[in-house]
Amino acid sequence: MEERLYDLIFICMPTTAEEDIAKIIATLEQVVTERGAKVEKLEKWGTRKLAYRVSKQREGYFVYMSLRSTQGELIKELERRLKVTDAVIKYMTIRLDEEIKRQQKLAARREQRTRRRPRRAGGTPAPGAGPAPAPSPSQGEPSAAAG
Amino acid sequence: MSETHAPAPRPHSGPPREGGREGGRPGGGPGGPGGGPRRGKRQFFRKKKVCRFCVEKIDFIDYKRVEMLQPFLQDRGKVLPRRMTGTCSRHQRWLGVAIKRARNIALLPFATEL
Repeated sequence: MEERLYDLIFICMPTTAEEDIAKIIATLEQVVTERGAKVEKLEKWGTRKLAYRVSKQREGYFVYMSLRSTQGELIKELERRLKVTDAVIKYMTIRLDEEIKRQQKLAARREQRTRRRPRRAGGTPAPGAGPAPAPSPSQGEPSAAAG
Repeated sequence: MSETHAPAPRPHSGPPREGGREGGRPGGGPGGPGGGPRRGKRQFFRKKKVCRFCVEKIDFIDYKRVEMLQPFLQDRGKVLPRRMTGTCSRHQRWLGVAIKRARNIALLPFATEL
């Protein structure tokens, strides 16, 4: 299976001690490395105001992790652990590899387009540097950029 | 200029929000009878601007960046329609996805009291 990219965010109670948070993170990281996956990024956003009340709290300690893994069951295991932890009041995992792939494809295609066509005298390369100011590139492009 | 709709001007004003006759800029078309948004929630003029994301060439709307998403919400926390913000359809879809993700993780509200 190819490598997948995940975003994992979880929120702890604002009253949690630093060391407890560190413990939770360490546990998660251990699970990740056990399965041969990688933690790409780890950010602690600290205490932030929540947009709505979660578990009767108005603030929460946010932690963000970015993972790369080839195993889907890893996420299930991580979420199970977070669910059991009392200090964690909310968590969310998002799979991002398809989106990143699409973003790169669009960026590459756009670069190809601006490179192929000579830049207009207007200066900045227009996003839709086609014959007509076509609104959405998806409509006009398949025929033009098929090569 | 070829038109996607019938060439003859329609008796009632053109289909709302279809940019076919204006050279295609979405969100800036002469929408609706009476011209202009009726019961405008915030603005009483149409944004004739182009899509902000297209201009800046943003391909990935990050749900984590609240400051980028905030201008697309109403005071009550609802998502602003495309004709208010001038976003193109593709980016509006991505924007919706990002806003909903942010709502789920309590970065943005679902609804706020006025």
